[in-house]
Amino acid sequence: MNQSARRSNFLIWVWTLFVLVLVYLPIVCGALAGLSKSRYFGFPVARWSTEWWSRALESFEVQTIVKTSLAIAFIVTAVAVVVAFFGALAFARYDWKGRRLYQKLVLLPIFFPQPVLGLALLLWFNAVGIQPTWQTAIFAHLVWIVPVVTLVIAIQVYGFDPALEEAAADLGAGRLFILREVTLPILWPGVWSGALFAFLLSWGNFPLSLYTTGADSTVPEWLYSKMVAGYTPMVPALGTMSTLAAATLLLAGGLIAALLRRRAAGKAAEA
Amino acid sequence: MTATALAAPKAPSPLPEALPILQLVGVRKTFGAFAAVERIDLDIRDGEFLTIVGPSGSGKTTLLRMLAGMEAPSEGDISLRGVRINETPPARRPTCLVFQSLALFPHKTVGENIEFPLKVKKVAGAARKARALELLRLVQLPESYYAKNVMQCSGGERQRVALARALAYDPDVLFFDEPLSALDYKLKKVMEKELKDLHRLSGKTFVYITHSLEEAMVMSDRIGVMRAGRLVQVGTPEEIYTRPSTKFVAEFMGEVNVFDAVRSGEGWRIDGLDGPAALDLPPGLRTADAAAVVVRPEFLRFVDGQADAQNRLSGVVFNEYALGSRIQYQVRVGEKTFLLELSRANAWGGKPGDAATIGWDARDAIVVAA
Repeated sequence: MNQSARRSNFLIWVWTLFVLVLVYLPIVCGALAGLSKSRYFGFPVARWSTEWWSRALESFEVQTIVKTSLAIAFIVTAVAVVVAFFGALAFARYDWKGRRLYQKLVLLPIFFPQPVLGLALLLWFNAVGIQPTWQTAIFAHLVWIVPVVTLVIAIQVYGFDPALEEAAADLGAGRLFILREVTLPILWPGVWSGALFAFLLSWGNFPLSLYTTGADSTVPEWLYSKMVAGYTPMVPALGTMSTLAAATLLLAGGLIAALLRRRAAGKAAEA
Repeated sequence: MTATALAAPKAPSPLPEALPILQLVGVRKTFGAFAAVERIDLDIRDGEFLTIVGPSGSGKTTLLRMLAGMEAPSEGDISLRGVRINETPPARRPTCLVFQSLALFPHKTVGENIEFPLKVKKVAGAARKARALELLRLVQLPESYYAKNVMQCSGGERQRVALARALAYDPDVLFFDEPLSALDYKLKKVMEKELKDLHRLSGKTFVYITHSLEEAMVMSDRIGVMRAGRLVQVGTPEEIYTRPSTKFVAEFMGEVNVFDAVRSGEGWRIDGLDGPAALDLPPGLRTADAAAVVVRPEFLRFVDGQADAQNRLSGVVFNEYALGSRIQYQVRVGEKTFLLELSRANAWGGKPGDAATIGWDARDAIVVAA
């Protein structure tokens, strides 16, 4: 009994390690490629250098595309969260005529192949005479990201007891007061994960951006173009930076959540 | 406060006595083709503890939601102190509902929950806290609970928090939607009494719904029994218990012996039983051809060798059940089963399987609509 428990424990460890190596090895390879002096990646790394990192950081081109990507991601996040929040309430909170149809329609764009969606949008922009720029890419991202964020927030809404809003109204509260004091605070975790999803999906999106940014360029587009022609180790360097930034973002979010929980627990313990 | 206001005792006005605080006239609620509540007329008196009892699906929750303003009646009128309130939203009614789920705000502390209605009314922070602490004392929770996370409270404590929050709103009428149903038996018994005490202390009108008659009997001034959307009987617990108007009410009140009586020549006999069992019935539906007769288990007794019972039946004791201070016997007479209850001190001497004659007096039988 004890031995079989030990063996299954050992197997769980081996499996976990295997999955981690499988997932992180390519990332580590990319990171190493950006830290090598040579332009072409070889293993083991012959000469280490931070040259590509500093060159990527100093490059005006990289700065421009990072700014464009950030601008798109931030605006997409803000708009998607607001639209998806109310969309999620309609999706999961209220029972209304046509809700089932709405639930299907709102999720449909997720299953639409993104390159086709990008091309369709480009044709459509063209037809109505809109010049594609990074702003049109925001719209393209929203078409795909709003449904995803709606779904993420809707999952939280499904766990929301409608009696809470009824009780608040029964105690004299108006709609806005209820939204501020009851609905939003309880749905915050869903809203935050929705926002995180929106940002990361927009930041990493390639197929929609490719068709709809026009002359502007985003980080994934730039990485792709540099890989197709004129490879430079700035590509893995920038990729690694992006990964590290995302990891920092997640860690910071986790830390803030933990701090908030500790503060709430502390407040309770005070009494 | 002026001197005159202090000097003059509050003269009881003659009106409130007569005017019900809530009045329902022909109230009906339909969902599509289904009528959840069928034409209910009911006066709820100011300051009373009224319990609506009924099995699940009898429409009692729908009735309560209409009273609280969460549903509008399809037909009929609901008035509060003579003013029609059919479409008045819950926020503008001086009423408050304690939900079955309690609907406490999980992200707020006990104090914040209680203060919620005061925050809505923009009461200042210090005054809010003072009132919350006062209410905590009233519902017998320690003041230290003020800052406790409401999700860390036990079931009984949450009941009290929900009650305190409702009282903080200072409603004229409090509605309860089976809030005790999730508690274990012992705690439920404690909370029933506390609720009744709180009703006395607050002087407010309490309208409570439950499927448990036991709960209703302990707490209520009046009980209304609902069945299939209709109010079958409204009366004091005493009235409902001793004079049920229908078979349904009698059976709902607990374990009773109910049988149909049919005419047999000049007299009556029990439907489904052959033999000489002539029935001596109390005055009631004497002229009808059929009636339902209710006899409570405690009014039945073993009458072997005695002739002191007006009605007698011979059968076999099938089993006995100990109910704490009382013992219940199941007696089979032909196809029928009768329940008989004795106090433990007067326990029957026989054992299951023995033949026995049971009997009761005409005055202990209740004749109800079949």
